[in-house]
Amino acid sequence: MLELNAVRHRYGARSVVDVERFTVPRGGLVAIVGANGSGKSTLLRLLALLERPTEGRVLLDEQSVWDAGGRAAVVAARRRVTLVEQRPVLFRGTVLDNLAFGLRSRGVGTDAARRAARDMAARLDLGPLLGRPRAELSDGEIQRVAVGRALALRPDALLLDEPVSSADGAAARTLYGVLEAERQERGLAVCLASHQLEDAYRWADDIRALADGRLSPVTPENLFRVDLPGGGDHTKHVRVGPIEIAVLTEKGGPAILAVPPSDIFVSREPMASSARNVFAGSVIRLAHQRGGAVRVTADVGIELVALITEEATRDLALVPGCAVVFSFKASAVRVF
Amino acid sequence: MDFLGEGVRRALALLFSGDAEVYGVAFLTLRVACIATAVACALGLPLGYALAARPFWGRRATLTVVNTAIAIPTVVVGLVLYGLLSRRGPLGDLGWLYTWRAIVVGDVLLALPLAAALAAAAVQGVDPRIRRTAETLGAGSWRTAWMVAREARFALAAVVTAAFGQVVAEVGAAMMVGGNIRGQTRTLTTAVALSTAQGDFGLALALGIILITLALVVNVALQVLQGRGSG
Repeated sequence: MLELNAVRHRYGARSVVDVERFTVPRGGLVAIVGANGSGKSTLLRLLALLERPTEGRVLLDEQSVWDAGGRAAVVAARRRVTLVEQRPVLFRGTVLDNLAFGLRSRGVGTDAARRAARDMAARLDLGPLLGRPRAELSDGEIQRVAVGRALALRPDALLLDEPVSSADGAAARTLYGVLEAERQERGLAVCLASHQLEDAYRWADDIRALADGRLSPVTPENLFRVDLPGGGDHTKHVRVGPIEIAVLTEKGGPAILAVPPSDIFVSREPMASSARNVFAGSVIRLAHQRGGAVRVTADVGIELVALITEEATRDLALVPGCAVVFSFKASAVRVF
Repeated sequence: MDFLGEGVRRALALLFSGDAEVYGVAFLTLRVACIATAVACALGLPLGYALAARPFWGRRATLTVVNTAIAIPTVVVGLVLYGLLSRRGPLGDLGWLYTWRAIVVGDVLLALPLAAALAAAAVQGVDPRIRRTAETLGAGSWRTAWMVAREARFALAAVVTAAFGQVVAEVGAAMMVGGNIRGQTRTLTTAVALSTAQGDFGLALALGIILITLALVVNVALQVLQGRGSG
């Protein structure tokens, strides 16, 4: 439904987004995860048609928006795609005025816009706030109002930048519940940027990791920015924090290393194996996810995440704080 | 001291007696200043918004021209306008030279760059998320500009005040293209200059007091409006 195609975006000489293809399907929820400064917010602004990419195309229903027909086409497309920024701002006026703003901008009458705004407020538990001005709202309330203001427009695609960063657990569940309902009922496409992986794994259909403006070919954990030595042996040893990771690659220079969590063997003792990377440490946490898998996060000098089954977790008697060994082959390490 | 004291006494007498000439000059000045401020702001505020809202080809050059225009001496503006409006000038057929309309045009030319430059600074001071948010919620160009202007309302009110201040205090261009004709184009500033030159210190002082009062009233009115608009 919404797609970035061969998009390169630069601020001056600095490349901030370099994405070959990124798609948000109708009815889907795609999460973009990545560290601060990885390019998540810029990618969302490109999807929201607020910035024109330096190169490449932004497609809405397979139509290239910026090439379609001038500013009118962009404004029309923007009315189908709405972005809620990480630290959203509310306009002057009450919460009700804000919730109705987008509809009023579309020429909807005051009464009808306010009715729709009140309906959305009820769904997001914003009813008691309707008469308040922005100065009397907390950060979490502003965030909820901003999401409600966007959802009241019934956009085809909703882009959310850290939508629950200031919300409490109940508010976050309410928000994700409403998003889930909108996806089911009318095929709302959702793309959210988050640094909270647990949320992403819980709610998203697809999780994409972004590092230095580039999408990782693997899951978002275990990404490390390194400087690879050039030439010589294809098996290279790269220092990442206090440990050294063996990598099989011909590349040299700045790169991102990715260790897929499913390629990490977990044991309680070191094993005799062909794995060139063997690191002992202790379990930090266990996170159960959909489908009976468990993500084991361990401190092995750096923080690494492994994906194992619940059965393996039981057999190894893994609990937070227990000793553990992570092993993976040099060829399992992806370089991009 | 007698000279100053006598001047003040005569000024107060003129003011409290409702002297027709003094108040005639004041009303003309007010009319000219209000029209010129309205025109300068009607043109300058959108120009300032356009300069600040987003980059476009030639923006830097336009900003340079606007900022330079602020520093042009009023007599130079008066000189150029005199050339344009004089009988042999390209706009001579309008017959505006030595009319209050010529003073309005001169005042607009002086206040327009000031209004545009200050408006651009005011818009640049608005959180850029306001514009992005309005756009992503589907607002068109005008509604987006309106939302940005609402956020910058205090600074934009100050722009109007500054433009009014510039216009009401202007003397060089008004003198050159207005001609300081009694009852027709004599404004407070040109009258003050003339009265002082003629040695009528009391009249000059009375006009000066009105001038200051006008500036004070406009400032207070805008502050009241700002107070009502806050929140």
